[in-house]
Amino acid sequence: MPNYILSTSRQMAKRHAREKRFKWYGRIAIFISIAFLVFMFSAIIFRGASAFQQTKISLDINFSESILDPSSSRDPDLLKRANYKPIVVESLLSVIPEVTERRDRNRLYKLLSTGAVFDLGEKVADDPSILGKSKKVWLLASSEVDLFMKGKIDPNVSEDLRRLKDRDIEWIEILKSEGRIKKKFNKTLFTNGDSREPEMAGILGAAIGSFFSLLVCFLIAFPLGILTAVYLEEYAKKNFITDFIEVNINNLAAVPSIVFGLLGLSIFLNFFHLPRSTPLVGGIVLALMTLPTIIIASRSILRSIPQSIRDAALGLGASKTQTTFHHVVPLAMPGMLTGTILGMARALGETAPLLMIGMVAFIVDIPKGVTDVATSLPVQIFLWADSPEKGFVERTSAAIMVLLAFLILMNICAVYLRKRLERRW
Amino acid sequence: MRPQIQNELRRRNRRNQIKEFVIQGVLIASSFVAILTTIGIVASLVFEAFRFFEKIPLTEFLFSLEWSPQTAIRADQVGASGKFGVIPLLTGTLLISFIAMLVATPLGLLSAIYLAEFAKAKTRDIVKPLLELLAGIPTVVYGFFAALVVAPIIRATGSGAGFDISSESALAAGLVMGVMLIPFISSLSDDVINAVPQALRDASFGMGATHEETVTKVIIPAATPGIIGSLLLAISRAIGETMIVVMAAGLAANLTLNPFEAVTTMTVQIVTLLTGDQEFDSAKTLAAFAIALFLLILTLGLNIIALRIVDKYKKKYA
Amino acid sequence: MLKKSLLLSLMTFGLTACGGGDIKPDSIKSEVPASTESRDQIKIVGSSTVYPFATTVAENFGRSTSFKTPIVESTGSGGGLKLFCSGLGDNHPDITNASRRIKASEVERCAENGIFDIVEVKVGYDGIVMANSRKSNQMNLSLKDVFLALAKDVPDGSGGLKPNSYKTWNDVNPALSTNKIEVMGPPPTSGTRDAFVELAMEGGCKTFDWIKALKKTDKKAYKSLCHTIREDEHFIEAGENDNLIVQKLNANPNALGIFGFSFLEQNADSVQGSTIDAMPPTFENIAEGSYPVSRSLYFYVKKDNVNKIPGIYEYLAEFMSDRASGPDGYLAEKGLIPMNLDEHSEWKASVLGLEPLMLN
Repeated sequence: MPNYILSTSRQMAKRHAREKRFKWYGRIAIFISIAFLVFMFSAIIFRGASAFQQTKISLDINFSESILDPSSSRDPDLLKRANYKPIVVESLLSVIPEVTERRDRNRLYKLLSTGAVFDLGEKVADDPSILGKSKKVWLLASSEVDLFMKGKIDPNVSEDLRRLKDRDIEWIEILKSEGRIKKKFNKTLFTNGDSREPEMAGILGAAIGSFFSLLVCFLIAFPLGILTAVYLEEYAKKNFITDFIEVNINNLAAVPSIVFGLLGLSIFLNFFHLPRSTPLVGGIVLALMTLPTIIIASRSILRSIPQSIRDAALGLGASKTQTTFHHVVPLAMPGMLTGTILGMARALGETAPLLMIGMVAFIVDIPKGVTDVATSLPVQIFLWADSPEKGFVERTSAAIMVLLAFLILMNICAVYLRKRLERRW
Repeated sequence: MRPQIQNELRRRNRRNQIKEFVIQGVLIASSFVAILTTIGIVASLVFEAFRFFEKIPLTEFLFSLEWSPQTAIRADQVGASGKFGVIPLLTGTLLISFIAMLVATPLGLLSAIYLAEFAKAKTRDIVKPLLELLAGIPTVVYGFFAALVVAPIIRATGSGAGFDISSESALAAGLVMGVMLIPFISSLSDDVINAVPQALRDASFGMGATHEETVTKVIIPAATPGIIGSLLLAISRAIGETMIVVMAAGLAANLTLNPFEAVTTMTVQIVTLLTGDQEFDSAKTLAAFAIALFLLILTLGLNIIALRIVDKYKKKYA
Repeated sequence: MLKKSLLLSLMTFGLTACGGGDIKPDSIKSEVPASTESRDQIKIVGSSTVYPFATTVAENFGRSTSFKTPIVESTGSGGGLKLFCSGLGDNHPDITNASRRIKASEVERCAENGIFDIVEVKVGYDGIVMANSRKSNQMNLSLKDVFLALAKDVPDGSGGLKPNSYKTWNDVNPALSTNKIEVMGPPPTSGTRDAFVELAMEGGCKTFDWIKALKKTDKKAYKSLCHTIREDEHFIEAGENDNLIVQKLNANPNALGIFGFSFLEQNADSVQGSTIDAMPPTFENIAEGSYPVSRSLYFYVKKDNVNKIPGIYEYLAEFMSDRASGPDGYLAEKGLIPMNLDEHSEWKASVLGLEPLMLN
């Protein structure tokens, strides 16, 4: 016999080798994709983790009544507007008495955040009984001091290339030696709205704005989406109008998100004169964007409900409406809710359409309703990413972490719902 | 039957019929919202774009090679000359999309093939959610990553190798956009590959082919139309993407194919023209709507072609 | 059952949207006696140069009073004045910031739309700098260099004009480096652009005698020649966001950026200003007027709105207070070049008296 066996073994070896290589290509592709994911997450966590701590300086403040409330009116507005600078400077000088010149005293005062006096004002307005007493208070430090404490300012770099000068660093060291300067948990990030000063900037305003926008979006898109899906699956006959609606929905799912923003701008803002930059308009625009997703997902769920359910109901004398709304829809609801949650998650991350309807202003106050001017979390990230102050870099990353956390939570909810309430037909 | 009962039944019947009718009406009405939205989009874009084309001729928009829209804002001011040619924007968009597809296609396809054909169930259970995570990351996060992490790295590598790479290179934006598209292509291709009937696989195995040969010589060729459809959908998505390019790509129109240079895209210009001065009478603001209309036609066109290819393919194996 | 619970949850969602409830835990923001129908929040638009100052005052104003914090949008001086002059209703802004003085044509437009009484508020001074990254060498430019590098048409040496074909700084002036000319600057909506072309470009343009003579014979041609900036890749319009320009300078050490002094000061650790006609852009030089490219910053208020929208008067008071715009105020910390004490008190008096603008 000729050497067939030997030659086929060689051929087989080559073919097996090719298969092995091919499988490795696949593995490498997956590995690279996941490596990108890991790289992105670690870059963001690396930049943002430090934002969850904020440097505070503790001082013994003497709430002198003669300076703050000479007329003893105890009026909250007056107390908030009183001049707290002298009592703060007095307290600073008691810790670092060597500072004598006026210019130097100003610099010493600047170790604190410009918002520190406002915090004091609010504290006294809340509890006027503190007047006349002396108390130890933790005050917010300025962004430069905070960055130094977090190791982000290099003291060895030449002085005129830094905003924090050598003398400031000396004073910080004195405070450190007395245990008066510490990094504490950054509550401000979660309780404040936007601010010009990085140390006072928080995401609460943006988060509430996102919440309201999603609320409006849900209230519009969920009922409309479900009803449309029900109509198309259960009621509609195969005619031209139905086809037209289906084509429309498929096309809308493919339209770039910025076009929805333009729709919002020209029709809802310019034509209907709805208030600009509000979660109301943002929610409407997001709803129109999410509608096709919800409809398509709901339709596939409805399609998966066995015909036997409908037949049984009809057989027992139920009307079409009763069959659909008492039997089919409740069975499909978990799946439809899952699809909706996933749609909402996508809407939460949308930025471009909201830029078009004006949510790019500087907004400090926390919105209280859907017609209050607001911004949203992704837009806030976009705005902070442009700010030059170094303190904002870590905050932008922290805000991204919060946004991703919300998204992961929503996705886990959806998957859990799906697993829990899914029924196998 | 007693007449009262008969009448009662007739009344109840009538009431139920009315209820059914009303409910059906509500359902049809809500379905029409989708149509109203489309009409709204088309109307708003077309109306404003037409006002633009009254000021700037369509031929200049489509064929001029210069984009310099910042016209004077007052009569006594001197602004730019106001050139409104869309071609530099189109080339910028296509350049970045092309780079994105170069990254996403091999990674997405190979992942999809491996997961669909070779991976064990446990691997699929871990990898699929991770890829879905990539898909769920908001584009503003990708943009931040592109502008603050990727672009400096590329620039540093470039200057180390002697190239002068712009800090807003098409390469940086395209690379990150590619990563964003990987799960998109992967899940679409996954569907397409799974749609290939088992019969084809069985026949191939029956003839003695290895798994890899089955995949490369039988399944992929069979799935090719579907895969091309998925790629077209991905390109459409890349063309319409906004945030990544706003944060990582440039602002100046640049007619070039060099990935190391900064280019601008249609979506970036729409955002730039509409944040800030917004007088709906100037050619500048209206230009944004003209670009948007062009963009819409392009993406919808791609989508329709893609869906048609995928449909035909599915029908072949249905 | 499921439907009922769904309905219930939808209702609760709806109620939360309408009511809201006090979200901010620490504030005791009492209800402001607002007028009947108008909105109760001040709307401010305008210059991106004045934006950092306006937002700081707005924030401090919001925190120290019970009024809502004003909303501030950066649209550019020109864009802001357009919005400002479009009408008197609630949909239009109350205040617009400008990094140049309002023009006669804009005052006319305001009048056409029913706005007759405008209060002009001078904020302070600002220098326009041409800065580059500290990774490169500081550049020493003359106004003539700036004009020749950036104009659309330049003198051809024999009394006529030719399109600008200079590619490197060395082409413009043999004493300068051979780096490519790459300047990022503001678009026509920006007051900084207006001020830059009027002060820097025109300043350099005038050094050619025949062009200077042109000013008397054909003013329009003169303006067109001196104010038109080139449109090729050597000048890039970088939008209203000055922070973005600073970031791009860090990424591209070869480029120069045009923006206000406050941005230079805030980023002094990474960018440096070029000297213009041998004058470095410092606080003192700009305050004295020896730095050639300095201008005043303003904002404009609709006098009619002072009674309609709550808080406008108090906002003006905060802005003109010593602790804000005075020589030692917190705005000076942000890079504003404040007026001297006399000028400051003069303006404070006229603003708080709500004296309407008279353009001479």
